[in-house]
Amino acid sequence: MQHKGATHWIVTANFTASGAVAYLREDGSWGQKLAESRLFADEEATKPLVALAQKTQQFTVSDPYGIDVHVGESGIEPVTKRESIRALGPTTPIRRPDSGRERLPV
Amino acid sequence: MYKYDAYDTRIIRERAAQFRGQVERRLSGEITEDEFKPLRLQNGLYMQLHAYMLRVAVPYGLLSSKQLRKLAHVARTYDKGYAHVTTRQNFQYNWPSLEDVPKILDELADVEMHAVQTSGNCVRNVTSDPFAGIAQDELEDPRPWAEIMRQWSTFHPEFAALPRKFKIAITGAPGEDRAAVKFHDIGVRIVKNAAGEVGFEILAGGGMGRTPIIGQVVREFLPKEQLLGYLEAILRVYNLSGRRDNKYKARIKILVTALGIEEFRRLVEEEFAASYTPDLELPVGEIERVKAFFLPPAYESLPDGASQLAAFKLAPERRFGQWVTNNTVAHKVPGYAAAVISIKTKGIPPGDVSDTQLDALADLADRFSMGLATTTHTQNLVLPDVKISELPQLFAALENLDLAEANYGKLTDLITCPGLDYCALANARSIPLSLEISERFDRIDYLNDIGDIAIKISGCINACGHHHVGHIGILGIDKKGVEAYQLQLGGSPGNDASIGKILGPAFAEDEIVDAVEKVIVKYLELRDSAEETFLQTVRRVGLEPFKQAAYEKAPAAAE
Amino acid sequence: MQIIRKRAIVEDDFVHIEDGAELPSGGKIIVTLARYLVEKDSLLAAFTLGVRIQSDKLPKDIPELHRLALVAIEFPRFTDGRGYSIAKLLRQREKFTGEIRAVGWVLRDNLLFMERCGVDAFEVQPGKPLESAVQAFAELEVPYQATVQDPRPLYRRR
Repeated sequence: MQHKGATHWIVTANFTASGAVAYLREDGSWGQKLAESRLFADEEATKPLVALAQKTQQFTVSDPYGIDVHVGESGIEPVTKRESIRALGPTTPIRRPDSGRERLPV
Repeated sequence: MYKYDAYDTRIIRERAAQFRGQVERRLSGEITEDEFKPLRLQNGLYMQLHAYMLRVAVPYGLLSSKQLRKLAHVARTYDKGYAHVTTRQNFQYNWPSLEDVPKILDELADVEMHAVQTSGNCVRNVTSDPFAGIAQDELEDPRPWAEIMRQWSTFHPEFAALPRKFKIAITGAPGEDRAAVKFHDIGVRIVKNAAGEVGFEILAGGGMGRTPIIGQVVREFLPKEQLLGYLEAILRVYNLSGRRDNKYKARIKILVTALGIEEFRRLVEEEFAASYTPDLELPVGEIERVKAFFLPPAYESLPDGASQLAAFKLAPERRFGQWVTNNTVAHKVPGYAAAVISIKTKGIPPGDVSDTQLDALADLADRFSMGLATTTHTQNLVLPDVKISELPQLFAALENLDLAEANYGKLTDLITCPGLDYCALANARSIPLSLEISERFDRIDYLNDIGDIAIKISGCINACGHHHVGHIGILGIDKKGVEAYQLQLGGSPGNDASIGKILGPAFAEDEIVDAVEKVIVKYLELRDSAEETFLQTVRRVGLEPFKQAAYEKAPAAAE
Repeated sequence: MQIIRKRAIVEDDFVHIEDGAELPSGGKIIVTLARYLVEKDSLLAAFTLGVRIQSDKLPKDIPELHRLALVAIEFPRFTDGRGYSIAKLLRQREKFTGEIRAVGWVLRDNLLFMERCGVDAFEVQPGKPLESAVQAFAELEVPYQATVQDPRPLYRRR
């Protein structure tokens, strides 16, 4: 995968109720889209918001933390493979397709 | 199969209600994630990369058709239509929401299932031999003892906050250990002493993970009725003395190694002598009560099926013949066999079963296997009680379900953890690697020629894919932000326990499958006969020839 | 301060005395094990005495255990379960009949198991509603195992 250098930081977490990946938006709310993330200049800048979320938003999100990202022509891209997979989903088939032949021969 | 009585049912129902309350308090913010985490872990609920993951317990791997149907229903209703068989005989759902989990637990309780203690620093699912009760080499059925240990460990108040997780396995077959007891925190082997009495050999301190260690014998012979009392003594010593300062040094294997087996044994025996009271002794009545649930089912009186089995193996229908040869296992009752359902189809993550397949497998269990199935450590399912005469019909039904791969025990019957595609702990992806390897070796004649071989893949050092005990083990690592794969050879989980040895520096993602192929080709070259297995060859010739082959730059021998 | 004792919310009648702090003239106090080891006889003579131990101690580390009215077991973190074994040893091995109190990081969801190990009083983590906490005891009625309250495992009660 592309392993570009970091240009910014963002804050991510998981939604408490659904477990889905969450990204902190500009207006302080949490969304599911990486592209909507509020950008921070560096890791230090994310820390107060991470702490705030841990303290006051436990019913919305769990385990917030900052991650480094690369912002370029293709928009916001995570630097690590792990965060890339969190943003885009598993790289493998999610459900076994039914063969369509499940009726037992009588 | 064990049937819950009013007490068992009440215990599970109360737990589901308790967890419902804990979820409500989490969602309202009354308790924080930090406080909720150990609670949800005690109910088998993890937070993974994209979603929660719920691990449902399958005690000693045994399932009824009713339970299979419920697992299908949960997959369909609350998840993305599939479930995953784990390397400890459990089932996992990768996409439940926290809000739905109380409902899921209620539904599971309807069929005597639960997710209790499938995670967290407590005693986990007691696992055993998937062929328990039917294997020809069995001294005694381990399942009643597994059930007794399950009840003893469930909500054990003293051991709810251990230094770390605790895994127990039991085997009833002295000749071949299919439960990997030497790699568990406590391993129990049913044995016979010189006087001909049946009792237990107790091992402790085995495990995989960061520091793979083979368990050692703490007690050579334990009378049966003392089982729970002795386990309590071991757990108490561990609870009080296990390290709590470092998560990676907190398992009992570290304690046993640090103290030495002599001192550890002394502490356990001292605690046992001080704490064993008549109340802890297992009464004969209870042993008989539980054993009664595992009496042989109503087998028909059939002629020995050996000749029929032999005929099937040579059937003109080659796929059927291969499947009977590779995927059936001898049964102690004449005319019967166990059938292994390989959940390893090309292109599908190993161990993933769709809801449709689960429903169909429930029907097959009812129709062909007295309503029972078992899960294996190798992420497969077994129908344990199939009439040999009905194997053709079963095979036809399995073909319709894409569950008829004749690869049990062969190269493409590999196991893998979920890896970086799912798991918050992983360093590298493992599923894509398993798919690539299966793709590369996807020819039945080649598979049969290579013979019995176990490839095990883990996406991080926690070793949930059991790579330490793979004949070929692969460990995914993070090499400066890039996924890389370490190759090791010669591991084995059974009585001949051994930990695999690393071949050399890690391979890149685009090199590892070639390396595996080179190792296989070298085996075919070096084996002294077609009967010598991969593991036997590795043990005979050592790692050096394989190391040279794996790292040589020239491409592998063509075709 | 309010505590839970025998499943009821009550005013605490014991006072924790820090090491080096001045002692009151009498009454019910809890001192650390370190202080107890130094001043044992005078403390026992003057007070209804409780001793507070950390989780790396065992009952055998407490001299003249049976002259104490109370043992307080400190849980450094709610995930540190050594105190459960310590409580059990106090009740079952030593046959201690005084109050066993859980102090430190004690959460509502630990109370039931602690009680089954012999703890009968709790200083719950501050900031958590005690009314909610006492409900925890009733959540799981039937234990599989022997408990301090009933040393018969379920298979002897079926």
